[in-house]
Amino acid sequence: MMTLKIGEARIKVPDRINRGDLITVNSIVSHPMDTGFFRDAEGDTIPAYFIKQVVVTYGGAEVARFEWTSGVSRDPVVSFTLKAEREAPLTMVWTDNKGAAFKQSVNISFAST
Amino acid sequence: MAYSSETARRAFLRSCAAAAAGLVTSGPLAERLLAATVPLVDPEDPEVPNEEVARILKRVSGGRPIRRGHVSLDMPLVAEDGRVVPVIIETDLPMTAEQYVKAVHLIVDHNPDAHLAAFYLTPALGKVSISTRIKMKRTTWVRAILETSSGDVWAGYSRVLVSLNGCG
Repeated sequence: MMTLKIGEARIKVPDRINRGDLITVNSIVSHPMDTGFFRDAEGDTIPAYFIKQVVVTYGGAEVARFEWTSGVSRDPVVSFTLKAEREAPLTMVWTDNKGAAFKQSVNISFAST
Repeated sequence: MAYSSETARRAFLRSCAAAAAGLVTSGPLAERLLAATVPLVDPEDPEVPNEEVARILKRVSGGRPIRRGHVSLDMPLVAEDGRVVPVIIETDLPMTAEQYVKAVHLIVDHNPDAHLAAFYLTPALGKVSISTRIKMKRTTWVRAILETSSGDVWAGYSRVLVSLNGCG
């Protein structure tokens, strides 16, 4: 993840999903998550810079919202479950303490058998 | 808030252990003293919250009793690198439209920002199984506090030994 630029994000869901499945959603966003407690090589404080909110929507409805501090590790990962009840996009928006928002989506679609 | 006599006893024993450890700063005697006092404290019992943690607990519970149970807080016993400590929070509580877990709070007692994260959930998730990675400053208790839609508050605890400070 180190080579990615800040805000690049990925969401991973299972390749094969059936209606009603309880799936695991894995996500990662590239972000330094600076606490504001560290100094750089010149001795200057590195200001706090972190993802403070994550909003998860499924088919337009908000299904989860996470409020974070800089205590979450660099390049934050979070995984959670989702009941795959309809074919719809799953979207996550990460917002940092400087107000930048990063968005990523995957389509939840069902296996055709 | 009134402590039960059991809580008071544990707190007292703990302070005794701390005093004993403080008197003798190093050497085998200190280890013997610690070894002698530690078994008196329930190893499963989280430490008495400090002022800030007490304030956070009061805020997230809304003053309702925090009961232990239904929450699994899975963390390593020893975290060699405090910058990246895995956390998995799970519960056997229902996640239906009628009855669900609406919030999960992650509190790390001795971190600069003790109320590390809050996860607000809906029944659409079907289940509570959240995993992430966090930073830890030093060896401490970690608390996962769950709030249900009916207003119950459940807690799970885990003590993590941190070798390398991950907070600066």
